[in-house]
Amino acid sequence: MFRHLLKLTWKRKSRNLMLSLEILLAFAIVFAVTAFGLRYAQLYRMPLGFDGTDVWSVAVQAGDNGNRRFDDAVYDSLRRGVGELPEVSSVGFAAFEPYAMSTSSSDLRRDGESGKQVRTELLDADDGLARVLGLELVEGRWFSALDNGSAQRPVVINRRMAQAMFPGERALGQQFVDGKGTHVSSTYRVVGVVDAFRAKGELAAPVNFVFTRFEPGKNDRDARTMLLKVKPGTARDFERRLNARLKLIRNDWSYQIEPLSSTRASMMKSRIIPLIVVGIIAAFMLLMVAFGLFGALWQNTTQRIPEIGLRRALGASAGQIYRQIVAEQFMLSSIAIALALLLLVQLPLTGALGDNLNWQVFTGAAMLSMAVIYLLSLLCAVYPGWRASRLSPTEALHYE
Amino acid sequence: MFRNYLLTAWKVFMRRKLFTAINLLCIVLTLVVLMVIASLLETAFHPSGVEGRSDRFLQVFTIRMDGHEDGHRSTSPLGYKLIEKYLKPMPGVERVAAVTLPASVSVYQGPNVSELQMRHADADYWKVLDFRLLAGRLPTAADDAAGRMIAVLNASSARRLFPGAPKAAIGQRIDVGGQMFEVVGVVEDAMHLNAYADIWAPISTFTSSDYRNELTGMFVALVMAERSADIARIRDQVAQIARGVVADDPKEWKRIYFWADGKLDLFARILTNSDDVPDSGAGKLLAGITVAMIVFMLLPALNLVNLNTGRIMERRSEIGVRKAFGATSSQLAVQLVIENVLLCLAGGLIALLATAGVLAWLESADLIPYLKVELNLAVFGWGMLIATVFGLLSGVLPAWKMSRLDPVHALKGAI
Repeated sequence: MFRHLLKLTWKRKSRNLMLSLEILLAFAIVFAVTAFGLRYAQLYRMPLGFDGTDVWSVAVQAGDNGNRRFDDAVYDSLRRGVGELPEVSSVGFAAFEPYAMSTSSSDLRRDGESGKQVRTELLDADDGLARVLGLELVEGRWFSALDNGSAQRPVVINRRMAQAMFPGERALGQQFVDGKGTHVSSTYRVVGVVDAFRAKGELAAPVNFVFTRFEPGKNDRDARTMLLKVKPGTARDFERRLNARLKLIRNDWSYQIEPLSSTRASMMKSRIIPLIVVGIIAAFMLLMVAFGLFGALWQNTTQRIPEIGLRRALGASAGQIYRQIVAEQFMLSSIAIALALLLLVQLPLTGALGDNLNWQVFTGAAMLSMAVIYLLSLLCAVYPGWRASRLSPTEALHYE
Repeated sequence: MFRNYLLTAWKVFMRRKLFTAINLLCIVLTLVVLMVIASLLETAFHPSGVEGRSDRFLQVFTIRMDGHEDGHRSTSPLGYKLIEKYLKPMPGVERVAAVTLPASVSVYQGPNVSELQMRHADADYWKVLDFRLLAGRLPTAADDAAGRMIAVLNASSARRLFPGAPKAAIGQRIDVGGQMFEVVGVVEDAMHLNAYADIWAPISTFTSSDYRNELTGMFVALVMAERSADIARIRDQVAQIARGVVADDPKEWKRIYFWADGKLDLFARILTNSDDVPDSGAGKLLAGITVAMIVFMLLPALNLVNLNTGRIMERRSEIGVRKAFGATSSQLAVQLVIENVLLCLAGGLIALLATAGVLAWLESADLIPYLKVELNLAVFGWGMLIATVFGLLSGVLPAWKMSRLDPVHALKGAI
């Protein structure tokens, strides 16, 4: 039976080639969309590392393009002035807030070893940030006054960074440096490790992350974003009182105030919208492929009515004819899918898309898209197959 | 002869109404997607309305500074000093406007906080762009000079802050991030590169005047030519000016680049990161878009090929007769390609209507704020071009197959 099917398919190879090419392309498109979606689902379930509820960010715009340095007194007056508001429970400073589009990254390496550079994202953070963002350390401690006057710049790293920089070793207390070649621009010492930290939010891939301790006036850049943890249930109109208080501290500056929840919403939107657009276009494509397959199969069976009549005359039952049509379509789809998988498996094998297409996502997406394509092609075969099987042998043999 | 082709095509299409419908539907679905993209691109690169004079102005968006060390570079929007000192005195142009990129600000009204996108613009900005004024007036050079705290709102924000007709907002005072502004004008909503914002105020209303001393900052310059023919000359002029700009700190920065670009060039420059060469990479970008569109057409075209191949098999007796009476293979192939292109053009017309519907939905769905896409003659032309390309793409293979049929077998009805 199977050899017979193969023979029939081979006899019409050029026609079937076009059909399977179409199925192959459709499979690739479904695969792309499901892989995209599954990766997001996978990322969403990973630990985020911080708690952004009831956190507000205040970007201080001093109108100097970041060229001047704020001194200790400025930070102190901001911290104290805002901390006095009854709604505010803690205050911290950072170079930019979580969920922001900004990134600061660098290639770091271990001291003394020329060689392995580790690509890392960095964020300047002051002693208060851990409390504001609810960072939980798995080892060591967060920055504190203990670090004042430390020769190396204290850092807290995430576990991913610890594994990348110090594989198989304990990261705490170790040092690494920034700079190209033999030139060392700064040295860092690990004082703590957090489990995870994904600054770009739930749908961002995990990266190596380093918090560097920010000390007013001592770094080459200011940390001009204030992060506030407010009491639960603080309404949006708090912004006005906050702004008024900030204006009391420095009237000639402007302040961009935003709850982290709205920064998060716009970040999520910017990541979800591409998926939705691609999804809608893919859905249209699939609809089209469904129509096309249906039409092509219909025409196929119409052409083969004499052949079907002959089989019926020789004693094949309606069910057998029906099964033949469906099985042929099933085989055609299987060949196309196998070919597509053979091509697509190169992506995770060569690591072209890195961790974005890991094996888990690949298998999930392959399974899902296989289900979709089989369902689609079988649905398209059901009606033409049924129509063909219904013909009585006499009619079919006389069909012109 | 051509009339005969048309008649045959019509007869064939009508004989199998279901398949013609399926064919048409596939064509329409593909073309709608492509036409929506084409009309969005057309709106972005050849806008009408507020930025309708885009063939007469160029934009300077970013300044790139290269340091003495390798790889040391900074790219940012322009500073006001650069525009005032270097661009505004440029001879042979109608005017040069300075405007900031939109930044989000909060407007406080009692317990309500509204978040708006704000631009600071000088008086020239209002003359370069063609805003439709709904009520009140636009800021003038006198307002800039006096540093008056005035603001212009767009229609949606005016309605949100002060419900009622646009007039209701005129003369009202609003608290924008702690600064009090008086609303003097309301303009129509606009979603364009330089026009998009909710609220505008004169540049001189900034809390501190530090912006005057900066080469880099958050400004964009719009250079308006007297005639569109001057554009090429102005582009060279700006490149010339850029070579003469001295950095604030010449020890740190060696070389400065900025370019005056039209809309397509600007987009291409940002996308291809070519901010240190005069060529913006627009050619590459256009080629990329064309290739992407053809790749997108691949699956639908394959689909149509499959449907068409089926249809030919039904017509083999007709083909046999024509071949027996001396029609050449190429004549038959041309006939089928013409049939297919006709079907695609018919599909294109339907798709154009559907595109209008999709665009209307996009405008109302608020995915892109203030979006307004016009279906003009250019979009119609693009649509028909896309339909023809699609028809050729999907018609050639079946036509070749059909012309190869052996007349003897075809007449007998065998494959």
